[in-house]
Amino acid sequence: MKKTAPIVLLIVAAVAAISVGSSQVDGFWSVLLNPGSNEIVWQIRFPRVMAALIVGAALGIAGLMAQGACNNAIAEPAILGTAAGASFGAVIGIATGVVQVGSLGALACGAAGALLATSITFRLAAFRGALSSFNLIIVGIAVSAIFTSLVGITSAVLNRADARSISFWSLGSLALVTNENLLGIMITTLVGGVIAWFIAPMLDRLSLGDQSAFHLGVNVSRVRFLALVSLSLLAGGAVSTVGVIAFIGLAAPHIARFIYGPSHRALTIHSALIGAFIVLVADTLSRTIAQPNELPIGLATALIGAPILITLVTVKNNVWRTQ
Amino acid sequence: MITINDITVVRDGREIIYDYSEQIPAGSITVIVGPNGCGKSTLLAAIAGDIAPIKGTITIDDHHPILTSPAKLAQIRAVAVQNQSYTLGFTVQQVIEMAGASAQVMEALELTSLADRQVTALSGGQSQRVSIATAIAQKTPVLLLDEPLAAQDVHSRKRIIELLQKLAEAGVTVVVVVHSSESELAWADKIIKDLL
Repeated sequence: MKKTAPIVLLIVAAVAAISVGSSQVDGFWSVLLNPGSNEIVWQIRFPRVMAALIVGAALGIAGLMAQGACNNAIAEPAILGTAAGASFGAVIGIATGVVQVGSLGALACGAAGALLATSITFRLAAFRGALSSFNLIIVGIAVSAIFTSLVGITSAVLNRADARSISFWSLGSLALVTNENLLGIMITTLVGGVIAWFIAPMLDRLSLGDQSAFHLGVNVSRVRFLALVSLSLLAGGAVSTVGVIAFIGLAAPHIARFIYGPSHRALTIHSALIGAFIVLVADTLSRTIAQPNELPIGLATALIGAPILITLVTVKNNVWRTQ
Repeated sequence: MITINDITVVRDGREIIYDYSEQIPAGSITVIVGPNGCGKSTLLAAIAGDIAPIKGTITIDDHHPILTSPAKLAQIRAVAVQNQSYTLGFTVQQVIEMAGASAQVMEALELTSLADRQVTALSGGQSQRVSIATAIAQKTPVLLLDEPLAAQDVHSRKRIIELLQKLAEAGVTVVVVVHSSESELAWADKIIKDLL
């Protein structure tokens, strides 16, 4: 039950999300069983729901990689500068006319920006010796702020509709996702997820500390680098397609950990499922709650994820012990 | 056999061990004893491959720890650190099984009843025993233990020492760091006192 419930819940939520929207779809079940039979369902809602699932899964695993690589409970793509770096990479690619939003090129730019910003954070945090959690978070926040500013300035100077708005890059939106965009984020999510699955047992050992992980045979710097590559692909792919969606990277792995325990291999699957569920519900709410207007999805993800996380921490708080 | 040949080790800009040589025989228990700051944990860390001496060499049989890959090194030596901290709520059994089979070593160190307990909820002495058990579960020919008796009661100390003696009899090279307040060292085959 504990294992199958999230998958069943996700399927029910996905069907419900496709069924609701500003337009009423007649004969919904028959449309659903005949791909391509209705433009609203198959050209607008289906890619959007699929994007919500893939992006949510990507951000859930990305958060797990950030927390595992840093051995820190509050690490996530937004705090390490990964998300802002991804936005920056995508915006620069679009601004120079090299790529278009949602294209494979934009994803590559996003992943490269994510890797650049995260690497800067790690390099600067370890500048004066060992990598400490405190340095990592402080430097990450600063790097994130710099890249966020650069994204804002570039977006304002660019003044082009296809480059998206500052609001898009800072609060995210799935409104403009098309079927063509899905392939790219599927690839980055799959590759990032496979790397995460592969290094998961090493991240279990890394939770004992760098020294003990090394004693157990882990090549700490290599595992941390692979976690950063996975994180950059996952967050970079997601952010360059739908903008920054806050809170999923933090909340999904923690919620999964509270329910399923600390093993990173199991958490790779469950962080993905929980991230997908939260983003799907948040996106459905953000496009239906204030019709005809649409809320930025980042507002809804925080409103859904935060109370769940607070409840779990209050009820059962012995899963992660901070020093 | 561990051979330490004329090593100098520097930590945080300070020379901790200077021109030091020693031979640690295989299949025995060697105790490194001394007061705080004398370099005993530093020597253990250098043997473990955690720190590279700035001069001289250390070899475990034919292997140079600092030139050996982490995966290969983990097959040669296992280490129980002094203050093992746990951040994630793995169970005692899960942590030990990160190194190898758990049942036998948990029984030997009286951890079986704690097998399903989260390591984040253990006392200092219990954490230390889990750390020792994890190192032993690695089943390596060399076992390095940093102050394994520090937080143990009389009964647990006896169990740990008996287990180390059995391992040494089976051919494992055991190196144990103990504080100079440890007066009873009859269980050691060799005692290293003069590091400074």
